[in-house]
Amino acid sequence: MITMKSSLIAAALWLAVASAHAQQAPGGERIQREKTVTPIASGKWSGKRLSDGQPDVQGHWSNTIANHNNWTDPEGGVPGDPGRNGPPKTPRESRAPSRVSDPVDGQVPFQPWAHAVQQDFLAFFHNPVKEEYVEPLARCAPAGVPKSFTWHGYEIRQYPGYLVFLFNSGTRIIHLDGKPHLPDNIKLWNADSRGRWEGNTLIVDVANNNAKARLARTGEFFSDNVRIEERFIFNADGSRYNYVATITDPTVYTRPWTTTIPARRFTDKDEPDGWHYEVAYANQPARSKTPLIEHYERICVENNGPFGNIAVLSAK
Amino acid sequence: MRSWVSTLFVTAVFASSLASAAAPKIPRLSNGKPDFSGIWQTTSAADYDLEPHAGRADAPPSAGVIEGNFIPYLPAALERKKKNFEVRDKEDPRLKCWTLGTPRGIYYREPFQIFQRDRDLTLVFQFGHSVRTIHTNNTLHPEVTDNEFYLGDSRGRWEGDTLVVDVTDFNEETWLDRAGNWHSPKLHVVERWKFLDANTVEYQATLEDPEVYSRPWTLSVILYRHREKDFQLIENYCFTLGYDKYYPVPAEKLPSTKGTGQ
Repeated sequence: MITMKSSLIAAALWLAVASAHAQQAPGGERIQREKTVTPIASGKWSGKRLSDGQPDVQGHWSNTIANHNNWTDPEGGVPGDPGRNGPPKTPRESRAPSRVSDPVDGQVPFQPWAHAVQQDFLAFFHNPVKEEYVEPLARCAPAGVPKSFTWHGYEIRQYPGYLVFLFNSGTRIIHLDGKPHLPDNIKLWNADSRGRWEGNTLIVDVANNNAKARLARTGEFFSDNVRIEERFIFNADGSRYNYVATITDPTVYTRPWTTTIPARRFTDKDEPDGWHYEVAYANQPARSKTPLIEHYERICVENNGPFGNIAVLSAK
Repeated sequence: MRSWVSTLFVTAVFASSLASAAAPKIPRLSNGKPDFSGIWQTTSAADYDLEPHAGRADAPPSAGVIEGNFIPYLPAALERKKKNFEVRDKEDPRLKCWTLGTPRGIYYREPFQIFQRDRDLTLVFQFGHSVRTIHTNNTLHPEVTDNEFYLGDSRGRWEGDTLVVDVTDFNEETWLDRAGNWHSPKLHVVERWKFLDANTVEYQATLEDPEVYSRPWTLSVILYRHREKDFQLIENYCFTLGYDKYYPVPAEKLPSTKGTGQ
């Protein structure tokens, strides 16, 4: 029988391992930092298809720009960071563009009151004197829509009638069978998603968002009146897609705006890196030329580990 | 001789038609394996208490779901179970909305959805929205032996139309039910999933744990397919309910309610 004492020691060890692990990843060198976003046009899909006709986009994906530190200057760090990730030392034009692709100024078209709320969150991000300044993801809440696409790599699995995202923090089921949305008063972290394929593009209507997640550490937000139309536009060889989402919320913004987040596929040519490509090699009975990739369960809240992790990191 | 052969033939034909009449028509993947895709839930009282019990304030009565009725605890383990039972209204991990584990997630009374491909089954549980993958691609448990998972590491194989799943690499954070029945990280579960008909699955789990039980023991529940129109899982991240006082941006900051005194 495991005693309370040994379980406390195990917990302490876990925290030590987890914090060591955390130092490597968020904001660190492992985050891919491409400087540009290449447009991908909607059109025909000529690649591989699944037996139900869906374009086959199964596998492991991750954004190519940066994590969720900053929505409008993705490689600029969190403004006001008192640590080593202080103000960027490079000119703005040398970093990746804003995730706001429309309007062209790259800024979220907040109403004045909402801009003040966002600035207030940002001002206290590094010194959260009230609970509301702690970003929900830091409490292991699901990252939600659309932040999940900037947080760690994720897996897409497809089935007749469904496409499922397994994120580092949260799981999202896209229904492709045309059933109606849930009743409007049910609000969810990952919202309620109805999708359809048009050629190389998956179009998803997102409703029932509980609006509890912030989009980034910079505090951008919407209300639970938000409606999002997502377009996942895949390139010809299925190696990349752009996430192009139009976000409409008259409660918070002066007009609808569009975000673009580029992503690329990770394959067996890539080395697992614990962040973008957060996978393990499967244990196969016989040596195979092609390694099989799998990912372990990702459970955050129970061990209160930082920002989601597998239950116990192996010291292997 | 000839009549003996023809009798045998007639008997064989009769037997095979009987067999096909008896074999339920079940959904199958294109590779011929049973297709468990769908949304499932038990109607049993297993999550209240796996063992037989009379009705009490926090559990409806039930004859239990265990072969032989009771869990064969080792003496010290039985003492711990009794202590768990006494503090069940505070210590059950379910109350914190922690991932329920294997097999508890299967017979907890909220739906779970199975998505199935040739290479794996993905189980998404409404409660906590946790995800379990059962690999059916002939891979083995990880070589690393100190993994500790809430749901264990699941490797499945087919015995005819029965999916047999070997589950290891557990942690010690989960209970088996609300009555404080428990296991150690040495738990080893062998599950057997079998269709009774297209909408009904018999689920069996044999639990072995040399630190807690004197011998392996088996529980069994029936799972029913949800067939309500437009039925879907509704994510239940209940561990976030405590955050509701902080998020989203409070209504008094929204312009529509400003100055209304709400």
